Amino acid sequence: MRLTRPFTRSALIAALMLASVASSAQAQKLSADKEKELIAVLRSEAPSADKAIACKRLAVDGSIAAVEDLAKLLTDPQLSSWARIALENIPGAESADALKKATESLKGQLLVGTINSIGVRRDATAVDVLTAKLQDKDADVASAAAVALGRVGNADAEKALRAALTAAPDNVRSAVAEGCVLCAERLNAGGKTKEAIALYDDVRKAEVPKQRVIEATRGAILARGEEGLPLLVEQLASTDRKMFQLALGTAREFPGKEVDKALAAELSKTIPQRAALIIQAMADRPETVDLAVVLKAAGSGAKEVRISAVGALARIGNETCLQTLFDAAVDDDAELSQAAKATLADLSGEKINAQIAALLPKAQGKSYQMLIELVGQRRISATPALLKALDSSDKGVRSAALVALGETVDLKGLSILISQVMAAKSEEDGATAQQALKSASVRMPDQDACVTELAAAMEKAPAATKVTLLEIIADVGGAKALKTLGSSAKSNDPVQQDASSRVLGKWNNVDAAPVLIDLAKTGPAQYRVRSLRGYIGLVRKFAMPDKQRAEMAQTAFDLSTQAAEQKLVLDVCKLHANPETLKVVIKARQVPELKDDATTTAVAMAKAMSAKGVDVKDQMTKAGIEVK
Amino acid sequence: MSNQEAQVSRRRFLKTASSAAAAAFAAPTIIPSSALGLDDSVPPSERVVVGGIGIGNRGAYDLGCFLEQKDVQFAAVCDVKEARRTTVKRIADTKYGNVACATYRDFRELLDRQDIDAVLIATGPNWHATMAMNAAKAGKDIYCEKPVTKNIEQSLILADTMRRTARVFQAGTQRRNLPHFAFACELARTGKLGKLKKVYAHPAGMQAMMSGWLPAQPDPDPAVVDWNMYLGPAAWRPFNPKLLDGFNFEKGGGLVGGGVLEWGSHCVDLCQWAVNDCPPPVEYNAPKDGELVARYENGCELIFREKGWIPLGSCPVRFEGETGWVEAGDSGKMVLSSPTLLAGRTVAEIGGYPATFHVRDFLDCVKTRSQPKGNAQAACNAHIACHAANVALFLGRQVKFDNQTHMFVDDDQANRLRSEALREPWRL
Repeated sequence: MRLTRPFTRSALIAALMLASVASSAQAQKLSADKEKELIAVLRSEAPSADKAIACKRLAVDGSIAAVEDLAKLLTDPQLSSWARIALENIPGAESADALKKATESLKGQLLVGTINSIGVRRDATAVDVLTAKLQDKDADVASAAAVALGRVGNADAEKALRAALTAAPDNVRSAVAEGCVLCAERLNAGGKTKEAIALYDDVRKAEVPKQRVIEATRGAILARGEEGLPLLVEQLASTDRKMFQLALGTAREFPGKEVDKALAAELSKTIPQRAALIIQAMADRPETVDLAVVLKAAGSGAKEVRISAVGALARIGNETCLQTLFDAAVDDDAELSQAAKATLADLSGEKINAQIAALLPKAQGKSYQMLIELVGQRRISATPALLKALDSSDKGVRSAALVALGETVDLKGLSILISQVMAAKSEEDGATAQQALKSASVRMPDQDACVTELAAAMEKAPAATKVTLLEIIADVGGAKALKTLGSSAKSNDPVQQDASSRVLGKWNNVDAAPVLIDLAKTGPAQYRVRSLRGYIGLVRKFAMPDKQRAEMAQTAFDLSTQAAEQKLVLDVCKLHANPETLKVVIKARQVPELKDDATTTAVAMAKAMSAKGVDVKDQMTKAGIEVK
Repeated sequence: MSNQEAQVSRRRFLKTASSAAAAAFAAPTIIPSSALGLDDSVPPSERVVVGGIGIGNRGAYDLGCFLEQKDVQFAAVCDVKEARRTTVKRIADTKYGNVACATYRDFRELLDRQDIDAVLIATGPNWHATMAMNAAKAGKDIYCEKPVTKNIEQSLILADTMRRTARVFQAGTQRRNLPHFAFACELARTGKLGKLKKVYAHPAGMQAMMSGWLPAQPDPDPAVVDWNMYLGPAAWRPFNPKLLDGFNFEKGGGLVGGGVLEWGSHCVDLCQWAVNDCPPPVEYNAPKDGELVARYENGCELIFREKGWIPLGSCPVRFEGETGWVEAGDSGKMVLSSPTLLAGRTVAEIGGYPATFHVRDFLDCVKTRSQPKGNAQAACNAHIACHAANVALFLGRQVKFDNQTHMFVDDDQANRLRSEALREPWRL
């Protein structure tokens, strides 16, 4: 067990006691002797902190032996709640009786707290006490008693609460209604449905805050089972927004199929804003929803209702909904069209894919482009139809086809996109093709095979395309990509040298380290520094053991021919301060031009490590560096 | 899993952070924006009027997520600290170009306002459940930061209260509305990984703690810091300014949850989603070698694990089935046992666990009355799993939990850790 704060003497005692809580609890329950010690603390003049923790300890393991002394604390404003932590938990009539007895003398908030604890214990023997407290002049006390009676929830409690529902003063009646609803819930759960319904109905008719009416109405609807439907429909048609909202929520909980019909019937009667919301409730009942009704709503009518229905079809629709969704997807209303396209992309089912693929070759106009987009979004295999679309005079169709190919081609089909990149019909098509090729390449399961295809294409590619292909190879990643880029960076082609060294410098893991070091040593002279900086970037950015980082940093430092790179290495060591990287920095002091920078860096590293509890004084002293 | 396998899998997913995909996730087509009040066609009276309670560091972030929604009108702030009241009012008034944001010291006054539809609760965890239930009883919908509850009993009553009061409740478990976590959970939930065998959560510090009081200092002026209201339902203790840190305050009293609750309310929550939000595990073992193993009724294990994670950022989860696995973390990235699990889908990579989508989900549900992703029942189950694990941790032994009775089985000690009395006058 961890102690989380500085402690005073008394708190320390408490802490020690708590330490024993954890350890003893692991082995066995509290011994009688230990309990006596804790009770003695309660009786003593010990600080309140100690008594509080003793209460907590007794809450877990105390027995009825502790009840009397705990009860005495119920009058203490500081310790009452601590005592109740124990008294709520110690089983037996003694604890319950202690709480009841305390209500005879307590007043105000301490009384409220004690009544609350009686409620938590659901003490059926306390109904008389609680009923009496319902009449208390202190509204907080009476309210607490009402809620506690609700938690007890037996027939006697029901009787008391029902009487108070009309008799209680205004400032208590809301709590009485809360108690009634709690009580009704317990009655209903216990099979006393009639009694529960009667109680709910009483609250609905009482002069209580609307939220209480909402709770009672919900209960009254659900407790009635299918017979509660008229009451639900009544709320659905209510002009009161809160009651309408209640109906929307309760409809989702309602059993059976009749409610689906009722919701459907309400659609045609209500205003569009409400109909849109009703459709959402219908769709949240996927097992029994009347799909035809939602489909019809998606096809015609007020815009907000159509959009709601179109969105709902994503959850409940099937292949029978396709034509309606197609029509909506090419509608002139952008919001409706967008909603339909989103649903079409999400709708599940192989039959849907088959229908889209079958329709594509014959499609025309707006539908043509929309279907091509769907092929891409749903990743439907339809390469021949997409290839045909590439010949379209409509640039929107061509673009959609390229995107779709990027989402659907396999390794064999990669060449299609490569050729589109090589021989694009326009600059715009070329850019789209490049993006599509990238999309296709990065999702190929066999990275190396993909890189082989791309590398082969590079041989015939014009200079600008070579750069694109190299960038895509870098995006694909993997061992083959690294090897290809390493070779390319050392080729005789200046364009490839530039592009390859650039993308290697941004590699996203340390696998590129050997390639970059090789280039830094033996690559084209004008890109050696770039390669070295890329290597230093790997040392900076990626997780690795301290020793490995220090070794890589030392390698970079030794290869550096300029102070700028050497200082970058020092910065990396400072960022990843540990005894290993400190060695690199200390060694760097041997370079006269860097001695001051390295010393400053070493001191900063030593301080940073010291703050984390890493002692490098010896290391620094041996190096002759003083840390103030 | 080999590193290569991980890298291959990772690459397959992590090239996907298209803004279009992110946007699609952010704004699902549920009902028209006009009906939701997302454009200017709906009058201000149709907007969701929100009040904020306890808006500190985390709350200020949440507040920003609310304020960026066009259909939100932030109308009031309540805080026991004067400085925070003033700061939040300035933020809201600046946003709206007026001085209308009301300030309160007592949240009950804010809840009394009939024009406020929903509240953002971002106090310290001590207050979360009690305040949320007060808000529900006042007819407010609730977005409540996590951890939502302090013990098992609170978790049960929370779910029950939200159901009974017909309120929309969203726990601040925003990872449920991030695409990569959602996808990972979907894989597990829909059987794509085969029969689920193990779900892993990262508790980041498995300790069940108790501590005593800090030294008493003179009570501050209530107008500046209302200590009595700050304490709220927590058992009494003297004022000490060091306790004015909502989370650490939790450590000043009874059994508190450490990393199991602080992080578990996120990562165990995701595990719960992966197991289709079924009831929490029925068996919890004492931790061993950095792992606390719990077991669901169907035999699937929930494992609180400190080490062994693929470096995918904080709050990682891992789901293992008979035929595949997935691991995801706060970087927005995930790793799959096989790229075929992607089934051609593109999953947006959104790192940094933003809450914007979660807030949007909440607001949509306030209007449609549907259940948000982090609804009270889901939060209840996840929190019970965390609390029960903490009980096993605290007792240092196995405990068994019955999801019918919501009690530990034949275990008086454990059952006495199910709940804790609230300080007067507060009740659930």
